[in-house]
This record gives sequence, C-alpha cells and structure tokens, in this order.
Amino acid sequence: MPRRLTAAPQRLLDRLWPWLCAASVALSLLMLTALLSLLLVRGLGHFWPATLEEVTLRSGEVVAGEAIRETPLPQQAGDERLYFTGNRDVAGASWRWVPVDDIAQRTTPEDLVRLTRTPWGDFIGRLVSVESDGERLEGQPAWDYLTAALALPANQRPAGALLLATADGQTLRQPLTNISGATAPNAMAWWQKTHTWGERVWQFLSQGPRAANTRGGVWPAIFGTVLMVILMSVIVTPFGVLAAIYLNEIAHQNRLTRLVRIGVRNLAGVPSIVYGVFGLGVFVYGIGGSLDSWFFSDTLPSPTFGTGGLLWASLTLALLTLPVVIVATEEGLARIPDAQREGAVALGATRLEMLVRIVLPMAVPAMLTGVILAVARAAGEVAPLMLVGVAKLAPQMPVDGEFPYLHLERKFMHLGYHLFDTAFHGEDVQAAMPLVYATALLLVLIVLMLNLTAIFLRHYFRRQRGNEC
Amino acid sequence: MIPPRAPVSHQPLRQLKNRIATSLITAGGIGVLLAILAIGVFLIWETLPLLSLDETFALTKLSPLAWGTLKAALAAMLFALPIALGAAMYSALFMSARLRSRIKPALEMMEAIPGVVIGFIAGLVLAPWVERNLASTLMVLVWLPLSAGLAGVLWHLLSSRLRQALPLSWAGLWLVPWIAGMLLLALWFAPLLETLLPGGDLRQLLEQRWGLDYATRNALIVGIAMGFAVIPSIYALAEDALADVPDTLMEGAHALGASRWQALWKVALPAAGPGIFSAVMIGAGRAVGETMIVLMASGNTALLSASPFEGMRSMAAAIAIELPEASPGGLTYRYLILAALVLFVFTFLVNTLAEMVRLRMRRRYQKAGRH
Repeated sequence: MPRRLTAAPQRLLDRLWPWLCAASVALSLLMLTALLSLLLVRGLGHFWPATLEEVTLRSGEVVAGEAIRETPLPQQAGDERLYFTGNRDVAGASWRWVPVDDIAQRTTPEDLVRLTRTPWGDFIGRLVSVESDGERLEGQPAWDYLTAALALPANQRPAGALLLATADGQTLRQPLTNISGATAPNAMAWWQKTHTWGERVWQFLSQGPRAANTRGGVWPAIFGTVLMVILMSVIVTPFGVLAAIYLNEIAHQNRLTRLVRIGVRNLAGVPSIVYGVFGLGVFVYGIGGSLDSWFFSDTLPSPTFGTGGLLWASLTLALLTLPVVIVATEEGLARIPDAQREGAVALGATRLEMLVRIVLPMAVPAMLTGVILAVARAAGEVAPLMLVGVAKLAPQMPVDGEFPYLHLERKFMHLGYHLFDTAFHGEDVQAAMPLVYATALLLVLIVLMLNLTAIFLRHYFRRQRGNEC
Repeated sequence: MIPPRAPVSHQPLRQLKNRIATSLITAGGIGVLLAILAIGVFLIWETLPLLSLDETFALTKLSPLAWGTLKAALAAMLFALPIALGAAMYSALFMSARLRSRIKPALEMMEAIPGVVIGFIAGLVLAPWVERNLASTLMVLVWLPLSAGLAGVLWHLLSSRLRQALPLSWAGLWLVPWIAGMLLLALWFAPLLETLLPGGDLRQLLEQRWGLDYATRNALIVGIAMGFAVIPSIYALAEDALADVPDTLMEGAHALGASRWQALWKVALPAAGPGIFSAVMIGAGRAVGETMIVLMASGNTALLSASPFEGMRSMAAAIAIELPEASPGGLTYRYLILAALVLFVFTFLVNTLAEMVRLRMRRRYQKAGRH
C-alpha cells in the first residue's frame, strides 16, 4: 500500500527537519560570532607588544623577529613560519619565511628591542650604545636615556645617535631624531604591556597614516567619515521629514499616494552604486561642471567643484538615505492616533498649529530613529563614494584655518574606502593587514553602535507610547 | 473652563500662515519625491544616445557583466536560501519566545555589517584559506547539514531527562557548540579523505579530469560572503511572514491530526508563501546590486564561465572600477550608465513586486485574524 510505504520516511523527515532548521540558526550565529571575534582578536591584538624571538637556524644564521603565522609546506615537508624581522635597510626585506624544521634554537632574550623609525620602518635588534653631547652610554643607562628622550616632544629632543646591532651582528647608526618609539617587549611586565597597548590604540585613533597607509593611524579617515555623515544628516533630515509629512498628513490618501509610498520604500532596495552613478552624472559633472564654468573659470581646466568632493558625497548619500528617513518618520506619524489630530482641530487649531504643536513633537523619536539608521547606513557605504569624492590619501583636511574653513570641494578620506584601498591596492599588504583589521573593527563598531542606538530608541519610545495608551 | 477666544484681528494671519506653510510642505514634499524620480529620468536620458549607435556594442560589453552578476547572485542565493529559510522556520515555529526576542535582533545586526568588511574578510582571509583547503571547504559544505540531522537522531536517543535539559525550543543556541565541533571534525577529517583520492590532491584532480581552473577569488567565495550578507534580509522578512500566519490555522491543522511536517508544508508554507516569495525577491535584489563584496571577493575577471571555481565581474563592480576613469559622454560612460539603469530597473521592479505581494498577504491575514 502506498500510504504505508511513505509513512516511515515521512516520520523520519518529521523528526529531523526541525533540527536542520535549528542548525541554520546555530550556523548563522556561529558565523556572526566568528566574524566578530576574528575582527576583535586581530584588530586589537596587533597593538599588543608582541614577544620578539631570536631564532638560530641549523645553518648557524640568527634571525630576530615577531612570529606571525605558520603554513604547511607542499609535499608534507613540514611547516613554514613567517617572521616579521624589520630592518629593511640592512636585510633588504622585512619578512622572512623560516622552515620550522630548520630551527635549531628559539629564545626570547630580554635585551631585544623594537624601534619605530621614520625611514625604513621598524628595527628589531639590540641597542649597543647612545652617543649624545660627546657622552657615550651603554647598557641600561643607554636604554633609560633613550626612553627619557622619546618621552619629550619631538622638537625638544637632544641631538644624538644610537648605535644598533642586528641579531646577526651587523651594526648601524641611527640619528635619535629618526626614532619615534622604542619598546623592549620581552622585558615588559603585563601591566607595562597593557599601558603600551592603550597608547598604541590611542595613536591609531589620533594619528594620520604613515608609510603608504601601512603604519600610523586613521584619524583623517575618522574625521572625513564623521564630517561627511554630519553634512549628510543636515541635508537629509529636513527633506526626509518634509516628504514624510506631506505623504502622511497633507496628500490625499488615494491610490497614487499608496503607489508613491511603495516606490519610496523600494528605493531603499536600489543598489547604492546606482546612486553613485547619479551623483557622478548629475552632481559632479552636471552641477559641479556648471559651477566651475560660472565661478571658477580662472582655474579651468583643473576642476574645482567639477570633480568628486565632500559636498557631492554628502548629497549623494543624502539621496541614498532619504527613503530610510521618510519610511521611519512616516511610520511614527502613522502611529499617532487620529484622535489627537481631531482634538487639536476641534479646539480651533489650524493645520499648521496642529502639526507643529501636537503631531511633530510626538513623532520626534521616530525621526531620530530614522536619522540614526540613515547615518548607520551611510557610515558603512563605500561603493557610491568611490565615484563621488573619496580619496586614498587626502593631502588637506576638509576643515582648516583658511577661509572659508569648511572646504566642501575637497576630497576626503573615509574609513571604509581606506580599508578597501589598503587591503587591495597597498604595496605591502602583509604589513598593512593588522591595520586593516583594526580599521575594519572600528568601522563595524561604529555602525553596530549606531544601529543599537536606533533599536534601543525605537524600543524605548514604543514602550513609552504603549504606557500612555 | 472655556479658553478665551483669540482676537479677531489675528485670525487672518493664522490662516495665512497655515496656507503658506501647507503649500510650502506640499511643494517641498513633491520636490523631494521628484528628486527621487530624477534618478530614473537621468539614467534613461544618459543612455538614450546608445540607441542611435550600433546596438551590438552595448550588448557585447554587457553580456559578460550580466552573466557575472547573475552568477554571483545565484551563488549567494544557493548559500543563503537554505540557511535563511531554515532559520526563519525555526524561529517562527519552534523557538522559545524569550530566545527569539534575543536572537532576532542579533541576526538583524548581521545586516548592519558593512559590505566592505565582509568583502575584506572574504577576499583576504577566506579566499586564500579555501585555496589551500579546498577539500575541507567542500567537505564542510556537505557535512554540516548531515551533522544537523545527526544531532536530531542523537537527541531522540537521549534519556528523557537530558532531553528536557536540551529542549528543541532552545536548540538554536545550544547547537552552536555542536556545529562548531562538527566543523572542526570535518576540517580534521578532510585532508585524510583527500589522500584517498586518485593523486591525493583535489585541485589537481579537478584540473586534470574536468579541466576546471581554480582562481583564488571565485564564485564559491562570493557565494559564501554575499550569502552571509543577504541571509539577514531574507531571514527577517520570511520570519515575519511565517509569524503572521494566524496560530489558529496551525492549531487547527494539528487538531486534525497533521504532523508537524504536514502542518508546515500543507498549511504554514502556502499561507506564508507570498511573504516568503517577497523575502526571496528582496534578497535577490540585494545580491544583484551588492558592489563591494563582489569587487573584493570575485577577482573581477569578465569571463563567461559557469565554473564555480572561476571569477566573474558583476555590473555593479564594473561600474565602481571603470566609471571614475571613463570620460563623461563617451561610449564607455554610456554603457556603464546603461548597466546602472539595468540594475535600477531590475531591483526596483523586483522590490515593487515583492512589496505588493507582501501588502496583499498582510491584508488577507488581518482579515483572517479578525474572524
């Protein structure tokens, strides 16, 4: 009988498919936590002063550096370990792959130091002596002198030179003015390391990029992102709210309004790159080109507004996030009971007074939620910015002391684009990786915080409204 | 108390202010809506000159891009659909309410992770790893669903006390370590399995026997990365649709003797079908238009190949790469804008369709819920 035959597999299916579904939830959570913890560990771990190893190979060669990772060699020939060895001026390269089987001895001597230098990048090796004002210091006094000198501001540091020795015995002289930081991580206690870690995180947040974006910080990118997002919210909030009020309070609620509403909602699903194309074609080439020919014709053919810049980027993103603000505000307006409006009108208020005194104050949380969601979306958006004004390295900040202080036509740096550019177009991606992780972590944290704020606000006001009713 | 009447002389001023403000809002509102409309008008206007040209040019330029876009979207949907729909069914039908109120926002947070971050992880971390461990990756893709089934079988064999400690309604959470363990098991086992293959190297085998080239950044990587990005949007909408199905329907089905499977297939899915359809459509729309992930994880080679191990270049990525260098008004410029127009029209239509289906379904169940 067919029924009997299908009964057993069906029962199995009936038992098992909830588990498949549950596993999908578990898998999604796993992927999310894996991604976030990868970013957290790699992004924050980079700033921790890593232990420096001194490795003696079977050939007698000595290598000093920071162990990065291991990968298996082909044909089961054991593993290979990557060391960051620094000393690009002496050795010609700052990375070294060492087959694990070739290592005769691994030690972590406490006198290994790591210096941050302006040309040539990091130095890893030993401090032999410090020469300053005819004096020559060696050993611990030399190290104390160096740390004391580095604690001074850059323009008050004494002139002097360091005598350094690499792990394999080569020596070199470095002027003290080239050095910007020194650590001896193997000799540090955990609390000293924590202190250095905090300092480095702060440097990452507050300094500009160095060495073709592979070192230094992301301050200009943070600044550019924030400035662009603020300009965008200044533009998008009034227009979004205006459109929402019109749609919800003034327009006749008919088929056309419904269609417009669906249309607006769907614009949120239009790919961001399309907005970028629009921004490039209309704002940059159209409006910017005309502005140039009217007001800045003396500098043509080099464009002023006719190329990507802060203003066009903000306008493009404002257009991109307009649907978000409109939808959120409308949602808030629709939730206000009609009785409130009718009551106000019955007491003799005009429509304007009703809107300004009764309806809008009640809709403020919804507007705020909309704007925060818009900011969160804009902060993570990169694709349209590539078309309308982001730069990999902006020589000038968009805000400075020169009149008119805010330079809307300048290009700016953006965290997301900085991340993309250093990760995919950098010269030494290997060296830039830790900073890329840190930038990614920062971007994710900013966007998640904004979203959490929006969720919290929405939840909070909804509950408050619920109590009132 | 009756409020004092406003002096008569103020009345016309108030009315005038009201009129002016209303017309200003109307003008502003219509202006904003027109500005939004201008996107479509601009794209069409800029592509019109292409019509007068030899039309095969745009076609030959666009077809590899269109193929790349579809391939990337298809790969993403293949990865995302089972996970997103499974998660939606689980959290709408089985999950405990307390867990659901926590997990749902967490999964929706996934949507907020910027594409550039996902693309970076996919392109620089996942892609090299998969290249080195292709066998393990394929093994994981096959083994994980099996291990979920295994979890179900084992659970039914447990003692009833343990079963109460690990209820199905919390399985979404306590299965996480199980899945992680199974993942590690697969990773440990796959290299052993690979040595059993002829030649002992899966990539060589693929190349020699089927002539499949392996590119580091390929459709497999894009599928996983972009799938990760579209899971939350599909999940959120499908879950809403399933949760909107009135409880009475499911209870009625169970009361008439339907098993859970039958209740799902015969009652819940047909009832929520339009909503799930719109969820899938919106996910597809997002996958088609996503730029950064494809840009960073696909290798950007404009190939017409169906192999999952080769790269592609999507329309959105082509626009991002080529448009800044194209001279305005030139041929490349116009065909890239045509690509943007295709993206715009496609996503707009898909989303509108999805939205209309969703609204219709919602109205139907609001009625059903009232009776």
